[in-house]
Amino acid sequence: MIPKTIRVGYDNKVTSVAIGGAESLAFLGGPCAIEDRDHAMRMAEAIGAVCRKVGMPWIYKSCYDKDGRSSPDSFHGLGMDDGLAILAEVREAFGVPVVSDFSDVAWAEATGEVCDLIQVPAYLCRQTTILRAAAKTGRPVHLKKGQFMSPWNMKNSVRKIEAAGNDQVLLADRGTFFGYNMLVNDFRNFPIMAETGYPVCFDATHSVQLPTSMGDISGGQREFIPYLVRAAAACGINALFMEVHDDPPNALSDANTVLDLKHLERVLAHAKAAHELRLELLAKWGEDDVHLPR
Amino acid sequence: MSTSRADMRVGDVLLPLDKVPVVAPTTLLKTTLETMARFRLGVAAIVDDTGRLLGVFTDGDIRRMLLRDQKPFPALFADDIIVHATRQPTVIRPDEKLAHAIAVMEDKGIWDLPVVDNDGRLKGLLHLHPAIKAVLDL
Repeated sequence: MIPKTIRVGYDNKVTSVAIGGAESLAFLGGPCAIEDRDHAMRMAEAIGAVCRKVGMPWIYKSCYDKDGRSSPDSFHGLGMDDGLAILAEVREAFGVPVVSDFSDVAWAEATGEVCDLIQVPAYLCRQTTILRAAAKTGRPVHLKKGQFMSPWNMKNSVRKIEAAGNDQVLLADRGTFFGYNMLVNDFRNFPIMAETGYPVCFDATHSVQLPTSMGDISGGQREFIPYLVRAAAACGINALFMEVHDDPPNALSDANTVLDLKHLERVLAHAKAAHELRLELLAKWGEDDVHLPR
Repeated sequence: MSTSRADMRVGDVLLPLDKVPVVAPTTLLKTTLETMARFRLGVAAIVDDTGRLLGVFTDGDIRRMLLRDQKPFPALFADDIIVHATRQPTVIRPDEKLAHAIAVMEDKGIWDLPVVDNDGRLKGLLHLHPAIKAVLDL
């Protein structure tokens, strides 16, 4: 099934990004948390330069409130007002669409006023009030599959969004629990979630997370990011999500999984090439359907 | 005035819509099975928003589905029913002769015929048992 195309970018201040169909692979990337204004601007400038060089459409991602941290002592974020102000400045200064998640229904409207894409955290992916609030912003919704969810059951969450009047959804896989403190990627998730008719996204950096594996913080195996990215792009995705930082050991959130900025160009180049090769193969040899006829 | 066997029409004995499992194309397989069980029929009619027949899902489709689609039950249950439906099924008009309809069912080896009007809108279902009973009671 060819997924529908969603468009991210609600005004002409940004270069809008089309995700789906035979569009170019889109990149959703930035620091996990908005750490401060200068860091956000510096990261946006650096990531933007890489994306222009690679030729990849890009949406800046960073969150103002990290509500799912393992410890009460971990950095929780700048808060909505300060965080959204910084995202608005990034958006304006670099002409790039921005995405942030929200974890409280009361934050949805303000988040939607700034963000071009509104993200539902994986842990909250079946919360009806959150999904309805996301849908009501009128922005496209980036819906992450919970680590505990089967891919086919994500249709229920999609239908909650549709029922609230929004038919612009991007479904992401960020790994599935494999016992405790461990995630694996089931690449069948992409074609299964694409059966909803919506484009699909691979969240590479959260997929290599080892949730709360280090007592009161999450560990991770970032060495596997390039392998998983190439595999996902070859399998069939419409967007790639990665958190990126210029100083991973000192990142205030997800320090064990964020991709070092210095590797971004190489990983994106691989992803783009794998995506384009897949589209070439499909055009030459036909669709992936090898199932027996009914 | 009594009706002769030769004169009986499909419309005389069809099950009306409120006696037939009717579902939307996006109804989950699980819900469709529950609907079929509630009506005690081995068939569900799938219609669009205007009542136009899109397909049928039968006990036979379940057998074929289980042998072909060997995915876990929770995944099957979450499928839209239209995925597993027989599209463009054999149908009959209400004004067709009942004897002809029974002959069609015998020829196709089926127990149920969706009854549609000239626009393809579902009017009911011709089920083999009441059809034969109607003929025998004459």
